[in-house]
Amino acid sequence: MTAGRQAVARPPEFPVRSIHHLEDVMGTVVTIDVYTADATAGAGASRQLAVARALLQRADAVFSTWKPHSPVSRLRRGEITCAQAPAEVSEVLGQCAVARELSGGWFDPWAMPGGIDPTGYVKGWAAQRALGAFRASGVCGAIVNAAGDIASFGDLGGGKPFRVGIADPFSPGRLAEVVYLTGAIATSGTYERGNHLIDPHSGQPTARVASASVTGPDLGLADALATAVAVAGEDGLDLIEALDGYQALTIAFDGRRRWTEHFPFAPRAT
Amino acid sequence: MRRTPIVITATFAGLAGVLAFHTTPAKLSLGALPGASGTAQPSAAASSGSSPRGQSSGGASSPPRSGSTAKAKPGATRTVVGPAVNYNFGVLSVSVTVSGNKITKVGIASLDDGGSQRSQFIDQQSIPVLIQETLQAQSANIQGVSGASYTSAGFQQSLQAALHTLGFQ
Repeated sequence: MTAGRQAVARPPEFPVRSIHHLEDVMGTVVTIDVYTADATAGAGASRQLAVARALLQRADAVFSTWKPHSPVSRLRRGEITCAQAPAEVSEVLGQCAVARELSGGWFDPWAMPGGIDPTGYVKGWAAQRALGAFRASGVCGAIVNAAGDIASFGDLGGGKPFRVGIADPFSPGRLAEVVYLTGAIATSGTYERGNHLIDPHSGQPTARVASASVTGPDLGLADALATAVAVAGEDGLDLIEALDGYQALTIAFDGRRRWTEHFPFAPRAT
Repeated sequence: MRRTPIVITATFAGLAGVLAFHTTPAKLSLGALPGASGTAQPSAAASSGSSPRGQSSGGASSPPRSGSTAKAKPGATRTVVGPAVNYNFGVLSVSVTVSGNKITKVGIASLDDGGSQRSQFIDQQSIPVLIQETLQAQSANIQGVSGASYTSAGFQQSLQAALHTLGFQ
């Protein structure tokens, strides 16, 4: 390309979304969106899409508690040990132990009825891992949305930040808030149908707020912490306030909102 | 250790936001907009807007009807039905109505879930949510919704194709 051509090149119009992919996996739909400023980056990202998809499907195959022959199902039945399971099982369980520690015990895959269940961590972990496939491809930004638990890096291009809504727990389909997304956001609450939140201290289904959202750099941990805060209630916000890089918002059953100091609220309209 | 007071706010702050929500100009930025996975083609334009449930369509996509692409005047109200696509529990198609460059209505044009209890539950719970999210995403200029419940790839594919027919990218 000549210098002259470069001089007359029009600036790119943002956002340019070069990938919008829907993957049926983990019993839900994972959406992958990649935003780019030029065709070269778009082509690179397209090649990486296969990597991201394979990572998601692999996570499902290994960690599914619905598939009777998955390594985690076999682990739960005591047919294999952790050492006999694929390497990522002990990696995830190690990170679950950290999340349990950071959550003050409010997130505890070892306290689930029916045996160890890392499902509350795995969806976010898998989405975060899939996102990593696009990091080196020169894109403006990417989003992996695992049924409402969202991992991201970068932005729309041109310095325009990602914005995501938080579903209103009292009015399905409405948004309770809009936030700027830098990194991950996970939301837990009573609108997770068929996915009861269990209080690890009692073993009973419990949620002390209608909705808890956690933002931070890693979706696996954000997912675990959102679950923890939804079970612990507003007191759980103190746990998040003490963690560098993580913020939280709760919506109580009476609609009251409380949040940590730097929760990234965005204006609703742009 | 740093101790920061938790800020408390009243419910009305959130309520006010919800009420102020529908005022933004139409700048489409929706998870379901055109992209790599939109394999299906729109099947029809200018439907009457009626939404018969239980109508069956077997295929994953139907060929586009020639001459159906809406090239309407700016500001005109148009309705398009997306292709019938397979989703996890059956076959559905989505209808979209736009006024000018703003989506005003999203609905289910046809849905056949085979009558199973699980799929009926999901249909009743999730499709209204998906429809609302579509409208909300448009008005809020957002790239996703956290805490959303079940989402359907089929819904998004049919919607995406319908939007394409309407000239949204």
